Amino acid sequence: MNSPHITAGLLVDYIHRELAPEDDALVYAHLAECPDCRREQQAEVWLTEALRGAARAEEFELPPAIVARVRQSVRSARPAPLERLRAFLRPAGAVAAAAVLAAGAFFVSPLGHPASPPMVDARYYFEAHAAQQADNPFSEHGSGAAAIESSMVEGQDEAGTLADRYGSGFTAPTLLGIVP
Amino acid sequence: MQKYGKATYNFAYRLTGNEADASDLAQEAFIRVYRAWRSFQPGTSFLSWIYRIVTNLHRDELRRRKGRFHEEIPEDNAPQEFAGQRPLAVTPIEEYVERQLGEPLSRALAELSTDQRQVIILADLEEYSYQEIADIMGCSIGTVRSRLHRARALLRRLVERAQRQQH
Repeated sequence: MNSPHITAGLLVDYIHRELAPEDDALVYAHLAECPDCRREQQAEVWLTEALRGAARAEEFELPPAIVARVRQSVRSARPAPLERLRAFLRPAGAVAAAAVLAAGAFFVSPLGHPASPPMVDARYYFEAHAAQQADNPFSEHGSGAAAIESSMVEGQDEAGTLADRYGSGFTAPTLLGIVP
Repeated sequence: MQKYGKATYNFAYRLTGNEADASDLAQEAFIRVYRAWRSFQPGTSFLSWIYRIVTNLHRDELRRRKGRFHEEIPEDNAPQEFAGQRPLAVTPIEEYVERQLGEPLSRALAELSTDQRQVIILADLEEYSYQEIADIMGCSIGTVRSRLHRARALLRRLVERAQRQQH
């Protein structure tokens, strides 16, 4: 016989049907023509059968004591009926508490009783906007915000003051972008 | 428990080799099954899942006993045999089959390492595929294959030795 023998590992995989189809076919073909490997295969098969025979001869029923102990353990691990009822009701209680809190928060907060519509402080808006415009770093007039504010505080005519400062084309409405 | 109890107990018995340890192992396994049943994936084998729990518990127990327990057989990490290098069966098969083999086999199984015994039980007695064994034992198919090859080779040598001693 010229072809090498099959390894013991390959034979084990063969009898456990764990070889790829092509390898399985090669082993099958080799066993058909190699008595030495066939003997090895039979020894491996025998070992498996002997193991199964020995296992069958030593089959045990589950001892009832184990069943009793497992049931006892499971029962003791299970909470008492009152505790189970509490656990069952706990989510419902949490939902009710959350609802009460949400309702309370709703009625206490301004959302529950909205005040009159917010008033726009036109003067503040005007000042802030004018200040932003006046603080333009590219402006030739530098920081005009303080001057605008002081002039407004003094009760001067804003449009006139701005016109004086920025020329006749600049009035408060143009600075605010109201008039194109 | 009625459905899987016997198989689980026998599996535990073959792993441990004695009734007391098998009882403790099976009992603990069923308690774990009860506690962890939500983690069982439907569509997979329930018995394989229980075996996995038993295997892990057995491994943990052996670790706990470390010091008192020692493995006589080293773990199988050596390279595999190659064609033409293995000895042929020393004893003819017909001789084996004629004899009473329960005792020598049990003794031989007891001499295997835990991992080797597990893989033999799962592959040859429970008839699981390598993939299923890998899933149960939490290792790769290659490791299953390697352990099974080594375990069987060793088992054959141990049985043959036991047979010779019986004569």
